[in-house]
Amino acid sequence: MPVIDYKCPNCGSSMMFDSATGALSCPSCGRQDNIEQLPDPLKKQVFTENEVQQYHCPSCGADIMTEPETSATTCSFCGSAVVLGDRLIGDLAPDLVIPFSISKAQAEEAFRKWCRNGLLTPAGFMSADRIKSITGIYVPFWLYELHNMVEVYANATRVRSYTQGDYQYTETRHFDVYRKLRLDYVNLPLDASEKMNDELMDKLEPFPYEQLKEFKTPYLAGYIAEKYNYDDEQLVPRAKEKTQSYIDSSVSQSLSGYSSVSYRDKQVNTTVRRTDYALLPVWIVNYDFGQKNYMFAMNGQTGKVVGKPPLSKGKITAWFAGITAVSLLGMKVLAWALGGDFL
Amino acid sequence: MRIYRISLAVITLVMLLGLVLPADTTAATTSGSSKKLIYDQADLLTPQEEQTLSQLASNYAPQHQTDFIIYTSNNPEGRDVQLMTEDLYDRKAFGYNQPYGNAVILTMDMYNREVYLAGFGTAEHTLNNSKLDKIRSKITPDLAAGNYEAAFTKYIQLSNEYMNYKLGTTPDNLLFKLWFQFLIAVVIGGIIVWIMAARSGGVVTVDRSTYEDSNVSGVLDSYDNYTHTTVTKHKIEKSSSSGGGGGTSSGGHSHSGSRGSF
Repeated sequence: MPVIDYKCPNCGSSMMFDSATGALSCPSCGRQDNIEQLPDPLKKQVFTENEVQQYHCPSCGADIMTEPETSATTCSFCGSAVVLGDRLIGDLAPDLVIPFSISKAQAEEAFRKWCRNGLLTPAGFMSADRIKSITGIYVPFWLYELHNMVEVYANATRVRSYTQGDYQYTETRHFDVYRKLRLDYVNLPLDASEKMNDELMDKLEPFPYEQLKEFKTPYLAGYIAEKYNYDDEQLVPRAKEKTQSYIDSSVSQSLSGYSSVSYRDKQVNTTVRRTDYALLPVWIVNYDFGQKNYMFAMNGQTGKVVGKPPLSKGKITAWFAGITAVSLLGMKVLAWALGGDFL
Repeated sequence: MRIYRISLAVITLVMLLGLVLPADTTAATTSGSSKKLIYDQADLLTPQEEQTLSQLASNYAPQHQTDFIIYTSNNPEGRDVQLMTEDLYDRKAFGYNQPYGNAVILTMDMYNREVYLAGFGTAEHTLNNSKLDKIRSKITPDLAAGNYEAAFTKYIQLSNEYMNYKLGTTPDNLLFKLWFQFLIAVVIGGIIVWIMAARSGGVVTVDRSTYEDSNVSGVLDSYDNYTHTTVTKHKIEKSSSSGGGGGTSSGGHSHSGSRGSF
């Protein structure tokens, strides 16, 4: 039986993860179980890793409709939280999890507040009354520990300028410079889900790593969880790409003080020291506006909202006109201050 | 948020106005109509014209407390036009309300057909060399054509106007052109709104320090070997404005100036 559910030992109701207390709690009788001390049912059961075609809800027996990457969901008939155990074992077993600390109600409130602060969004959007769905998803991420050995050979110059007699002298001192840097990055997150927009997920960072916990299935109770589409090998190029700008900025900082630097040779030797499979909490908000669906993502710990909102042409025009008018007035005042006519 | 920004803009504007207002409020009081301002030794003007110009000069004088002097000479000795101007100032001690005060002098040397414009006192700065150059180039066509009255009128009006402009600017400066002001305003508006639109979808708030393990990361090895030095030199161009550029009279009065022929 690959489907796990969490029956309250007191009353038999389906228990859910409570983002406020961080415990597995029973909505009926109020029982709270500390997840870290709870034996994980996943560890007790033995699954075969065959592709199971159909899952049945242990509470009501209904078919559980899932997408192939879903590893946790709720039964669409009885609402019980279920975890699909065979999608969380073996290679698919997460190492770490950051549980949600923002509840659905708080997420909705935070999203509404974010909408109200949109300076260029249409008025109808700001009222945020067309929220179609708010879904808590544990998005699969790989957390990389990358060790980089960077060696840079460059020609650098220091330029000094001075006047002597009728001549302006420019003195350029040339240097042959070398830098060897060790740059280690830990817990560099990269989303491993095909569905999630990479750019959106990058903007959600940073996740509070002090909240990282050893993975246990009860954290997923009541949320959707997905399994990774890309394994840690496949994402190494993206990890390197992501650290590229960090490395470049570290290198140029180590060469500060020179007027110009031209690299002769730059070697970056990257070793992947460690990868952790982590599930990170994201609220996905689907929003209908003007016959279009907009998707926003919210960091389930910090509440940071990302996603392209609709932009109002009218408001853009108004802001543009307003700023232009104020700037023009400023220019007029400046001209007047310098002795010109105001008009 | 929005109201806050607008009010901030208004406050900034009011502060700017406050800085500027006191500058031009000194009222014109004294009139120096009795003073001799025109020395037409070359007889370029009719008495009628002389009267009109003199009236014009004394009307403008209080605004910047500056005398506008016109000096024409046949200069039979062929003296230098700048020296003539300096000597005139030393001898006559021009100045609106005091000897050796503020004065602008136009000297016509009919012998060498040269003209010299000079600013003494505060006019040395409010009418610097480049401003005097501009005025001179604007009146030279009239001087060459013999329209002396028109040229002298323009000289008084332009000198008075240019003294209003601060920081070396003249009305020809782009800053005073409506199209340029409009262009700058549109560019500022465009950039700010573009930034607002670009940031509306959220921005990346992590940098290299977020994931860097600072305990072990850093420079392990480095060298900076000096190899050689190259030196280039170029001659400093002396900023030589076409018509000279002021100096100090034998009486010790420094001035700005512009010189040219007509």
